[in-house]
Amino acid sequence: MQSRIVVTGLGMVTSIGIGSDAFWQHVLAGQSGIGLVESFDTSGYKGTKGAEVKGFQAADYLTMLNPEHMGRASQFATVAARLAVADAHLDVAHIIPERAGVSMGTTSGEPNQIERFNDHFVDENLSGIGPEFIASYPCHVIPAHVASEVGFAGINTMIPTACAAGNYAIAHAFDTLRSGRADVMLAGGADAFSRITYTGFARLGAIAPDTCQPFDRHRKGMIPGEGAAILVLEPLERALDRGAPIYAEVAGYGLSCDAHHITAAHPEGDGSARAMEKALAYSGINPESVSYISAHGTGTPTNDHRETMAVKRVFKDAAYQVPMSSIKSMLGHTMGAASAIEAAACALAIRHGCIPPTMNLEEPDPECDLDYVPNRARECAVTVAMNNAYAFGGNNSSLILKKCEV
Amino acid sequence: MERRVVITGAGVLSTLGDAPGALHTALCEGRTGLRPIGLFPTKGLASQQAHELADFAPKDYLGKKNLRALDRTSRLVIAAAALALDHSGWTSELRREHEVGLVLGTMFCSVRTISEFDRRGLTLGPSYVSPMDFANTVINAAAGQAAIWHDLRGVNSTIATGLTSGLQAIAYATDQIRSGQATALLAGGAEELCFESFYGFERAGLLCASENGNGAYPIPFDARRNGLTLGEGAALLMLEDAESATVRGATILAEIKGHGSGYDLSRGTQKHTSIDAVSRTLQQALQDAGMDAVEIDGLSASANGSVRSDVNEAQAIAKVFGDHTANLPVTAVKSMLGETLGASGALQTLAFVESMRDGVLPGIRDLEYLETDISLPLASSHNQQATLHRGLISSVGLDGHCCALILSQYGGQ
Repeated sequence: MQSRIVVTGLGMVTSIGIGSDAFWQHVLAGQSGIGLVESFDTSGYKGTKGAEVKGFQAADYLTMLNPEHMGRASQFATVAARLAVADAHLDVAHIIPERAGVSMGTTSGEPNQIERFNDHFVDENLSGIGPEFIASYPCHVIPAHVASEVGFAGINTMIPTACAAGNYAIAHAFDTLRSGRADVMLAGGADAFSRITYTGFARLGAIAPDTCQPFDRHRKGMIPGEGAAILVLEPLERALDRGAPIYAEVAGYGLSCDAHHITAAHPEGDGSARAMEKALAYSGINPESVSYISAHGTGTPTNDHRETMAVKRVFKDAAYQVPMSSIKSMLGHTMGAASAIEAAACALAIRHGCIPPTMNLEEPDPECDLDYVPNRARECAVTVAMNNAYAFGGNNSSLILKKCEV
Repeated sequence: MERRVVITGAGVLSTLGDAPGALHTALCEGRTGLRPIGLFPTKGLASQQAHELADFAPKDYLGKKNLRALDRTSRLVIAAAALALDHSGWTSELRREHEVGLVLGTMFCSVRTISEFDRRGLTLGPSYVSPMDFANTVINAAAGQAAIWHDLRGVNSTIATGLTSGLQAIAYATDQIRSGQATALLAGGAEELCFESFYGFERAGLLCASENGNGAYPIPFDARRNGLTLGEGAALLMLEDAESATVRGATILAEIKGHGSGYDLSRGTQKHTSIDAVSRTLQQALQDAGMDAVEIDGLSASANGSVRSDVNEAQAIAKVFGDHTANLPVTAVKSMLGETLGASGALQTLAFVESMRDGVLPGIRDLEYLETDISLPLASSHNQQATLHRGLISSVGLDGHCCALILSQYGGQ
């Protein structure tokens, strides 16, 4: 009999709040983290808006590492880890370090480090690049920094499956715990605001001029964002033994690949539907039992339409009964962090019996005709939450969390 | 009942051959792929040589069409996947009926693509970058492109744990099959050689030629070692659930018995914690495989000529194997292939499968003066004739990541 795995702590660094309490309060209030980009000059870009984390000082939270020696994504991740460990009341002194691991996801790793490299390259000043580049750029340094900050010496992985990476990382941590390879895992995602990412999405014409309006008839695109979320996962018996707070149980997941196009989703949402079907089968849950879907919902015309189609294919008539919202309407698209932040939102929805809204949904789109929880949070019991995330490369994922019945 | 995971085929692109058998022969002949770099200008660099795939012609594997949108990493992965699918008998018809997936280990994917995209935006302006190039800047781009090319609709994951990425990807895929989430997965790693990563390693003083000029070459475990050389390549293994592989009549080359992973909290800076991290990773793999150390007939080490980590790995091996170390043939193929980063663990695994089939473990090129505090009696430049029923692959990173994998001959026991 494989052990049941539960979520016992959340750590979040977002544009609408640091810490899961601040995040939850603001996401239910519909607060937006979207504003004019401040981290670099956007003149010359098709787009001026972003959802940046402002007023963030990693040194206020860290006890082991010096944030000056880390990139911004690692700073987000290490702070999220500290907050998650505290939230779970994990006493690190009672953890066997070798049995404690880290599983992270990202889109860009530490993009600011390679951007600095390129600034020097373009300025023909290669001598300005020192040994810190190779020590701080590769994306595996993010989970390495997390582990070093909290003292976890077990399995340490980075799964850079772009905008679905957080879900992949949580799924990997879940498997690692179920197979008995660890006693506790920190799992999540982190991404820093990046010139490279912004340039790319601007060139694709994907950035909305003003704000993010998932499922709205006049939606004009996504808004790049940044942040991190880390979940503490551990076996149920262990959580009960130590009297830990339990947010939710991880029921299962599904992964698939479109094998269709590197940036565009499958026209019929085939891969995303297969990921949802696999997640339901893995979890042994009927579509009718799902009480909330946290949508990928980027706000681009095609994503929201195709995701709606895929949900209808999987849920059939039940699709119209399941509330489905996109918090990207407030946080923008935080890339590899997005599905980790959204997984945390699912855990909070289960604990508090409340669903965060899709903001800025003013005029319904006839082709997007499901219940998107428009503009106002909704109180209702959430027993099963499905978290969808899709990515470049056709990497699809659905993660299912459920209320933990003991 | 947990499923058993077997290897039914392999595809490789290396400086020492593009078939597992050819690579094995070259390793046993003690050849090296080290050569002057042609991919980027090396003027002003202290080191000007690497294990470059100078004559890699993607069209030989993939035809001429549709290559333009793919960068070097994607081309390496797609070509290696073509070879592995062909070798294992996964025809396009079969792939239509059954989901095949891909788990790719890579340290950077293409940091050259990422940088060229960024620099174009910097010098010409953000409107002059190509959207297609942007698609290739994500670290999962090569795995995604390979899925599109070969219609791989199953689990598609990218694992980035630095030098251990390739082996960690095989471990990840093994667990996906063991737990029933997949039945057939290509797994391994790939890395391209490019200026950005090369310069980063040079500036960090990790390349042997940074200090000692271009006559320098990597000599794992040798007292004269003074750094690594960078390489490139790709290696993918077809991993399958043993039962379904048998049903479809596949040739089974070897079985994966277990794996382990750990992290060195000192990130390689403290000898004691580094040795401890590697040794408990090896032990964890043995435990996962349900084996004792004495049952291991041969070992492929991660050692790449680095001053510090080679000794730590050797001492960890000696610690785990105790008296059995005296009977344990050890190889270090990075003496010939260079440090191929995300590809390295997969190349080690693929080469070891060939050694098991042939009964010969390649010697460590140029190893003459074993470092004094390394006690690996059977590490030498000579090939070892051995009946290799079970082997251990060790992979150790620069930033504390460790991974180990145990292979065995498939006996259906």
